[in-house]
Amino acid sequence: MNRLKEYVKKNQKMILILILAFAVVFPLLGFEKSTIRIFCRILMYMTLAGSLNITNGYSGQTSLGHAGFFCVGAYTAAIITTRFEVSFWPIMILAGIFAAVVGLIISVPTIRLKGIYLSIITLGASEVIRILALNWQSLTGGSFGIKGIPRPVFFGFEFDSPLKFYYLFLGIALIFLFVSHRVINSRVGRSWMSIRENELAAKSLGVECSAAKMMNFAFGAFWAGIIGAVYAVYVQYIDSAVFTLDEGFNIMSMVIIGGQGTLVGPLVGSVVVNGLTEVLRPIGVWRFVMYAALIIVMMWFRPQGLMGASNSILAGGKVKMKATGKAKRKETTP
Amino acid sequence: MEYISNQLINGICQGSIYALMAIGYSVVVGITGMVTFTHGEVMMLGAFAAYYTFLWAGNNLLLGIFAAFAASWLVGMAVYKVCYEHFFDAPRHISLICTVGFSMLIKNLAQIIFGANRMPMLNIIDNRVYQIGPVSINLLQIVILAVVIVLATVLSLFLNKTKGGIVLRAISQEKTAAYMVGINVRSTAMVGNCIGCGIGGVAGMLMAIYYQTCYATMGGTMSMKAFSSSVLGGMTDVRLSAVGGLCIGVIENLGITFSSANFRDAFAFCFLILVLIIRPQGFAVKKGARP
Repeated sequence: MNRLKEYVKKNQKMILILILAFAVVFPLLGFEKSTIRIFCRILMYMTLAGSLNITNGYSGQTSLGHAGFFCVGAYTAAIITTRFEVSFWPIMILAGIFAAVVGLIISVPTIRLKGIYLSIITLGASEVIRILALNWQSLTGGSFGIKGIPRPVFFGFEFDSPLKFYYLFLGIALIFLFVSHRVINSRVGRSWMSIRENELAAKSLGVECSAAKMMNFAFGAFWAGIIGAVYAVYVQYIDSAVFTLDEGFNIMSMVIIGGQGTLVGPLVGSVVVNGLTEVLRPIGVWRFVMYAALIIVMMWFRPQGLMGASNSILAGGKVKMKATGKAKRKETTP
Repeated sequence: MEYISNQLINGICQGSIYALMAIGYSVVVGITGMVTFTHGEVMMLGAFAAYYTFLWAGNNLLLGIFAAFAASWLVGMAVYKVCYEHFFDAPRHISLICTVGFSMLIKNLAQIIFGANRMPMLNIIDNRVYQIGPVSINLLQIVILAVVIVLATVLSLFLNKTKGGIVLRAISQEKTAAYMVGINVRSTAMVGNCIGCGIGGVAGMLMAIYYQTCYATMGGTMSMKAFSSSVLGGMTDVRLSAVGGLCIGVIENLGITFSSANFRDAFAFCFLILVLIIRPQGFAVKKGARP
């Protein structure tokens, strides 16, 4: 196991390029349209679960209402693209910004409070957003939803088949991973992680906790909004029944099963959960029971998830200080 | 004017049910010191236990209350064993996510066992309407108010006057000190959790009687009401949580008087956010240890 880890570390770039090439070539092998749709779903949830991981895994704030931001993004894109003749791409960014603003509004009253207020407020806000989408007839079409959302066009190239959308989702997932990787390894990302480990200590070292937490929350919501906008043009029809709390819990189960606090975790989680969904289709509703049981089992035996950050508080407080111990010894021996 | 005063009566009646939910919630949170997201499902199971009791044993309100309390007590034990017992020393988010998983488990199992349809609750109380001056109040509302007041009084007496109640309050304040004076913290915490869940179950039953329907997914909205009321009251304070529940009920019913009933859930919640912006600690005065 350790040798495998070392090998992965040594040839990181090679493996990344291999995986990427695999992801690009794989759907061209002549699958049916429905299979490609499953791949699209997996990629979509990768970004979505990744954006939830930004809040839950990196700054340790437990947000439970991620479906709400997804809903905001989807409805923003759907409303604007069906009413005005505009290009999709700026609207996608706008949907992200709008979701981020909603996220800020939700987080501001709770950010100063310690503990679980954020969880409760996000849970409720997600439900309120859904109720608004269901009942604001003139804007959102009420329970009929919004039909006929136009396909996006990129310099004359129209996204009109699941295969083309596969590459769109892949591109967005890659951009998301690249941007998050850069942010996580910057001063901001390190301040998020320090808040997760110990807020008091972070504060005493000069991290502006409220500002960092707000930024973290808005960043997560922004990506949820963007992926919501792409989802709207992908399915071309949205209604509020998709964005229930169960959807939020579904996203959360991917983050928890895959792993919190690492960029790889949600990717694995999305593959595992969506793969299981397809494999277990015959057992019907029992699979939701299984997900719930899986979450509890995960919390009992591996709270950080399959590929989660083992060297953090997410693993249940058993932090191993291996790296620092070695460094000290090196300083003293010569 | 008459319409508004009637809505006020409805609001107080519904608010008293919310108050009972919030009391149960804050007992759980206060005594175990951990957060629960299973409360809605516990209430739903209480409602179903009462439903089947009414079905088999006839219209006996006391029996229904007892069944709801007992069923929720048992679920409370399961919640404690699965979600709390192992995580007293772990970071808080672990038990939080565990309760979320447990609530998903119960909800989906309930959908399989009880079916996804809405079941009509039997009409166990006569539909008699009394006219007192400008307001009309029906028997159901009087009964609900009475049940809530009796239960809240019994709980308050239990917590403040008996030895068991004092032990419970002791571990809610400081677990280590409670250990030192010889209290078995784990088993006492379980009893406290079960009492909170049992009260929640009775509240769920009252909700089902009030709306005359019970269904497997009813826990979601109910738990939102319980959260909002209890956050309004400062999470761990039992009395202020009850006040918070009353406030939420009245605000909700006045809100839908001036707009559409579809926005019922949105009103309570926006009110909560407003209060949190102005006064983050809710109604509570005491600062310090909070979940």
